[in-house]
Amino acid sequence: MPAEVKQEQSPSNATSLAMMQEPQEVVEETVTIEEDPGTPTSHVSVVTSDDGTTRRTETKDMSTNVKVTKMVKTVTTRTVRQVPLGPDGLPMPEGSSPLGSYTDSIDRRYMKNGGDRFITPQATSTLTRSYNNSYNDSYGETPESQYIRHYGLHDGYADLTDNYGSLSRGVNFRPPRYPYLPNSYRPENSYTLPIRKDDYGHVAQPQVPMGSSTVDLNRSQPERFQPEPYGLEDDRRSLGPEEEEPYELEPDYSTANRRTLQGANRGRTHREPLRDGPRVRGYPDDPIEAELIDERHPYIHGIYSAPLAQPERGSMASLDRMGGRRSPSIDSIRKDPRWRDPDLPEVIAMLGHPIDPVKSNAAAYLQHLCYENDKIKKDVRQLKGIPVLVGLLDHPKSEVHRKACGALRNISYGKDNDNKVAIKNCDGIPALVRLLRKTNDMEVRELITGTLWNLSSYEPLKMVIINHGMQTLTNEVIIPHSGWEHEPNEDSKPRDAEWTTVFKNTSGCLRNVSSDGAEARRRLRECEGLVDALLHALQSAVGKKDMDNKSVENCVCIMRNLSYHVHKEVPGAEKFQDPSALQAPGSAGPQRKKKDDAGCFGGKKAKGRKNGENDKNYDTLDLPKRAEPSKGFELLYQPEVVRLYLSLLTESQNYNTLEAAAGALQNLSAGQWTWSNYIRATARKEKGLPILVELLRSDSDKVVRAVAIALRNLSIDRRNKDLIGSYAMRDLVSNLPSGQQRPAKNLEEDTVVAILNTIHEIVTDSSENARSLIQAQAIEKLVAINRTSQSARETKAASHVLQTVWSYKELRNALTKDGWNKSHFQPTVTATPKATKNGKPGYDDTTLPLMEKNQGTRKCGSGDMIPMDELGPDGYSTIDQRDKDCKYKAGDGTVDLTEREPLKNDTNRKHYIRSNRPAVSLVDACDVKPQPVDSWV
Amino acid sequence: MSHHIPGQPVTAVVQRVEIQKLRQGDNLILGFSIGGGIDQEPEHNPFSEDKTDKGIYVTRITPGGPAEKADLRIGDKIMQVNGWDMTVVTHDQARKRLTNKKEGVVRLLVTRKSLEEAVKHSMGNGPKQ
Repeated sequence: MPAEVKQEQSPSNATSLAMMQEPQEVVEETVTIEEDPGTPTSHVSVVTSDDGTTRRTETKDMSTNVKVTKMVKTVTTRTVRQVPLGPDGLPMPEGSSPLGSYTDSIDRRYMKNGGDRFITPQATSTLTRSYNNSYNDSYGETPESQYIRHYGLHDGYADLTDNYGSLSRGVNFRPPRYPYLPNSYRPENSYTLPIRKDDYGHVAQPQVPMGSSTVDLNRSQPERFQPEPYGLEDDRRSLGPEEEEPYELEPDYSTANRRTLQGANRGRTHREPLRDGPRVRGYPDDPIEAELIDERHPYIHGIYSAPLAQPERGSMASLDRMGGRRSPSIDSIRKDPRWRDPDLPEVIAMLGHPIDPVKSNAAAYLQHLCYENDKIKKDVRQLKGIPVLVGLLDHPKSEVHRKACGALRNISYGKDNDNKVAIKNCDGIPALVRLLRKTNDMEVRELITGTLWNLSSYEPLKMVIINHGMQTLTNEVIIPHSGWEHEPNEDSKPRDAEWTTVFKNTSGCLRNVSSDGAEARRRLRECEGLVDALLHALQSAVGKKDMDNKSVENCVCIMRNLSYHVHKEVPGAEKFQDPSALQAPGSAGPQRKKKDDAGCFGGKKAKGRKNGENDKNYDTLDLPKRAEPSKGFELLYQPEVVRLYLSLLTESQNYNTLEAAAGALQNLSAGQWTWSNYIRATARKEKGLPILVELLRSDSDKVVRAVAIALRNLSIDRRNKDLIGSYAMRDLVSNLPSGQQRPAKNLEEDTVVAILNTIHEIVTDSSENARSLIQAQAIEKLVAINRTSQSARETKAASHVLQTVWSYKELRNALTKDGWNKSHFQPTVTATPKATKNGKPGYDDTTLPLMEKNQGTRKCGSGDMIPMDELGPDGYSTIDQRDKDCKYKAGDGTVDLTEREPLKNDTNRKHYIRSNRPAVSLVDACDVKPQPVDSWV
Repeated sequence: MSHHIPGQPVTAVVQRVEIQKLRQGDNLILGFSIGGGIDQEPEHNPFSEDKTDKGIYVTRITPGGPAEKADLRIGDKIMQVNGWDMTVVTHDQARKRLTNKKEGVVRLLVTRKSLEEAVKHSMGNGPKQ
């Protein structure tokens, strides 16, 4: 995730302050996650045609918010087998053997497995399979994604009914013997379009007849089915060979077949399933297209009264997924003479068709086509399809605006920002917001908020979203789902937050826009009810111990971003500025130190804080008495939030949440105003220091970094500095690499630099702490870094620490005894050239190493918004371009990952965490999925 | 079926489904998967009509597997397993109940929308999931 934390570090004193960036604040994150909505959209439309074929279209969002549209066609006819089918499952015009090619491919595969021949009626297998696929899709991923998908699926079913009602033609009552087919669809309501015949002749486009079953069965044609887009690898966990079998449809169809099938499949090894899963998944068929076509050729349909059993499978799939990639030869093999896919202009034209179901089908089809296909998205844009879709958002029929919204969500997803801009340019943002106000349909709301989430990932649109949507999103989604009430009813107990998809999408959107700089922050802080609701939601999460989900993560990230620069940006902040802040908090320290040391760092177990006793006296700081409860943005920096963040830090297993919570503390403890004094003191009194120190052992780089910087900011408070020096030094030092080899954790450069800067902060003005540093065996590491690190930034930061240590004359004796001499504490020869890279070679200020500030290397980023990428974690130093590029890249990549697989974050993250400290519980925890959402039995 | 309130008598059209477990190596397999349970988020259950229903639902069926042969269907809500109530159990409890190694056969009582509809309108209406 692209989080960008921005931070500014804190200087320990005024002098350095001037040179550094601001006080330290830190983190603001911009997360740009574009997730497609995590919604799964599944639209299922069923169309029954005279030929007895039922088609179902579904659009799904893959877990990651990707949507896939699937269409499944089911045949209702029972005579299916009697009709010769072509390879694609369509009746063979020539009357040649139906199963010919099909069988071939099957044989090929199955024979390999030593299985029997398997001849299943295609229709059957298709159906089942697709059906199956869709479930596979929905399940097996992380729970979150699953949910999403399911939800969509569900809705999709519901849709069927209404939409097609008027036109419905066929009746499909399925006798019990067709268990699978029928139930899923509601044929009654569907309307049928005549099946079109082919004016397109046999040359028509591939309808991808074989559809999914083919996919599975014909491994020989891999091109067609590429697992990636649909690759929910997670699925595999539960797939056994058997599960992978294609569905078999009707029991009646010959048991022999079935048995065979099974047998064949059984022969498959377990590894196979993995591949299959995704492959299968994709391929649904696509009814809509067929429908559309049919409509245009009404006269044709009589022809197929026979069992058109199979049909459709994949047509869309091919289109959509393969785009132009498929191989012509295959196409020709599979070409279905009778149908052709409507081309894009036709589909877009259909959006304006007078018949509503045609509009909605066209939109659904577009959604499907756009799924993971940037080319088609672009084409839709260039063909001016986007304004038409946006126009449909105001369509009174829910089916129409829903499908239009689904298409827009897919179009808005991805890296092509032009698509996002196109939506904005035709006033899509206000249209979406308007629809959000109007509709109560949960699926539509998910689609809208998902689309907005996607749009919010593009910087220039953030403010537009704030202007048009912020208050509506807050009122319509955030507040109601957070459980917060303006006027709490005395009688009712406080409501808990509901982690709905809509809430997740909306919070994701706000999270993104909250990184858009000072103005965005100001607007969001002043958005009525927003901060209150977010805080309530987080408290509810803590109360329910449900802190690992994406919604919580989004909320904490928003809070963190809004906490950035509060001391400078909130109205009236000047009244709280504390000129003496630099000394004040610190001066209070010494005399009390002995008293509470134990309490504050009473062992690692301090987590289960029992704050009781100490709570009352905030050390030297008296919290201001408030006449009335604070509300709105004031809540951001009330000392009470410290406990909330500490609870999250203690309990959450989600690295992003941990990072954000630490970042929030970092931001809040950064400023030089009264509130940050309180925050720093409160963090101590709430026994937050040990919690933070423990997180230094996290395997997540980002967490370690955020925590290190938070500790640095907290140590502006003198007592905190003393405590951190005494108790955290060892953990800080253990995160440092030993010279070139990066041992235990192998943290990223930024993290190492952050830790070094924190150490520097702690040892500055405290020879006691410098002594602790020496005792923690840090000198050896520091010297090694100073001399051999490949990173100029690390070298520089280590050098600063060394110089500071050497400046304590009282320690030199001890150092000398350990075999160190002055040369070890001076910038190394090698360091100099490295440093030069950043500009200043010299370090003239030995006592207070001064880090150069950003020297205009910031290339990206605008003004105020300091996405984390822009500033090094240390805040003092400049990130060189290379770094930045990397980061941006990494950021993007991550974004993408996130977009697609928000759920997999944890897993992904592991790759980044090159750690081998199994002991850290945080990591392990990530592996433990909360609960199975569905279990094979 | 989906509006069942835990603790209240259930009125539902149910069907008995008896599944003979299939032995695969050391495992006894039923060939379907379940979702739901009182510890799960019911609103995510795609099969339930009442989104607060925390019942156990059949989410997937292995083609050709024992469950399929027994005519269990995706979306079926499992009311009982060998006489044990499944309407107010955790996901894991349900799983364990189903996978009891000592039992080679499970007798389920399931309810499904199509059954109810079938009762209501005898013919002409397709079942809906």
